[in-house]
Amino acid sequence: MPRQIDYSKLRILPDPDTREWWEGAKRRKFLVRQCKTCGQKWFPPLPACGKCTSMEVGWFETGGRGSIYSYVVVMQPIVGAFIPAVPYVVAIIDLDGCHEPDGTVTRVAGVLTNDEPEVAIGLPVEVSFDETLDPNIVVPRWTICGAAENVWRFSE
Amino acid sequence: MRTRSSDWNVAGLMGSLTDKYCIVGVGETPQMRPSNRTTLSMACEAIRKAIGDAGLEARNIDGMTSYQVGDSTTSAHVATALGMRLNYAVDILGGGSSTEALIAHAVGLLEAGYCKMMVIFRSMNGRSGRRMGGQVPGGPVPVATADGDNQFFMHWGWTTPAQRFGMTAMRYLRDTGCTTKAFAEVAVAHRLHASLNPKALMRSPITIEDHQRSRWVVKPFRLLDCCQETDVSAAIVVTSRERAYDLRQPPVFVMGGTARTLSDSPAWNYSRAEIHRVAGNYGRNRLFGMAGVSQNDVDFISCYDAFTFTTLIQLEAYGFCGRGEAGDFVKGGTLQIDNRLPSNLSGGHLSEGYTHGIQMIIENVRQLRHRADDACPGGTEGRHTYDRKAGCRQLRKARICCAMGWGTETTSSSVMLRGIVA
Repeated sequence: MPRQIDYSKLRILPDPDTREWWEGAKRRKFLVRQCKTCGQKWFPPLPACGKCTSMEVGWFETGGRGSIYSYVVVMQPIVGAFIPAVPYVVAIIDLDGCHEPDGTVTRVAGVLTNDEPEVAIGLPVEVSFDETLDPNIVVPRWTICGAAENVWRFSE
Repeated sequence: MRTRSSDWNVAGLMGSLTDKYCIVGVGETPQMRPSNRTTLSMACEAIRKAIGDAGLEARNIDGMTSYQVGDSTTSAHVATALGMRLNYAVDILGGGSSTEALIAHAVGLLEAGYCKMMVIFRSMNGRSGRRMGGQVPGGPVPVATADGDNQFFMHWGWTTPAQRFGMTAMRYLRDTGCTTKAFAEVAVAHRLHASLNPKALMRSPITIEDHQRSRWVVKPFRLLDCCQETDVSAAIVVTSRERAYDLRQPPVFVMGGTARTLSDSPAWNYSRAEIHRVAGNYGRNRLFGMAGVSQNDVDFISCYDAFTFTTLIQLEAYGFCGRGEAGDFVKGGTLQIDNRLPSNLSGGHLSEGYTHGIQMIIENVRQLRHRADDACPGGTEGRHTYDRKAGCRQLRKARICCAMGWGTETTSSSVMLRGIVA
């Protein structure tokens, strides 16, 4: 069941490092930064390459899919926009197509649309986008999109 | 045998300033909820007590530092209120690993002669003022403005330390096979110590089962995994060995430490290759090398307990057990007083009150002086019964203490302290 998030209580302010990323989200694209010098990818959109320090940076358009690396289940609300969403799952996601030759992988975090019993580390997820009250701000959400072997679930 | 995972055999190595500088005074306000006071008022009280504890007067203090998160008064305001004229005053942005870092900072300033007698303080209305993770005193924040890093964290609904560190803890449980019963061991040990501390906010002993039955805050953390939001101020005084000998209390010597050691990608832990390889892993050889001792020489520890898990993971980081072994290491009460490695003897942030780290240093100092302020009538003069049932919390053997600070997974500071009371 998609989580109800009260976007009237969340005001997001893009800055010069992130504006193009938010424009990508508005076009339903999940972008990550990519170095024009060495090809390294990263998120969030920091202004320099952490591998070679180049500031010639562009964008890599991901397929909007990945797998769950870790997660938490928020049981107690803190941010007003998420009061109606409790309990909700936030996950760290290993992005497909963002595995580097040196073994590192670009990760993002995000809210899952799934309930806790469906969630496990290792499961594949895909992105969707929620419109907010601000026509310029569209936020990514993630939904489990299949099965996997060797998944792990917190069962306490 | 305690399992060790230190990469180097560093026992016998020492830093050039080992044992040259001392903590000579400690003081704090009560742990309050709410204080109904300003951070300036609380800081003045804590600093007056620390100076008095050392046998000093305000005019003897010529250096002051503090740490805060934009929620507190400054050294200049305190100096004005207490009529001090300082030769050095700096207030840094920081939190859980700042006390140990500012001790290192003080050692360098004192050695170089920038000042002679330094106060380090923290003052916070952590419950009634600014709370962690975007909450306001009345509860969830009505409308949140998300700029900077929060553009992402806020729309992920992922803002509090419990939520952030919980992600690391969850992956740790998956990778090691550890269960939350190991978290419970930390909660039970620190609460036992708080039961021996008249100042502590939470003094009723708890069991593993109490922990397991407590309500969820953010899975995998329950209520009893989380520290106590508190209004409090605390202060310490640092000076040279030569000056320390003239003062009122037995000095506690700074053997060595690390100051704000960072891991890779310190700003964005979740994107790191191995999120539970925390910053202490990068600091431990520096700490033990500078102090010239090994993990086996340590009588007791303080280990930052914003959450039970932060204590657990730092035991591995600083080499008191191997990677992935902390759950087995703490099983059966290892961290409790009179057992193998007593931890956070005042009750820590989990049970005494949350001070952003500095209170742990204060308790370590009192233990190393052999002057824990417990229920023993002569306790603060060093006369203890060691009868836990009668409320004594002084360790019998308290000569070397390892204090492990935690800012986040990616930030850590530490200090090794030595007492000279047999």
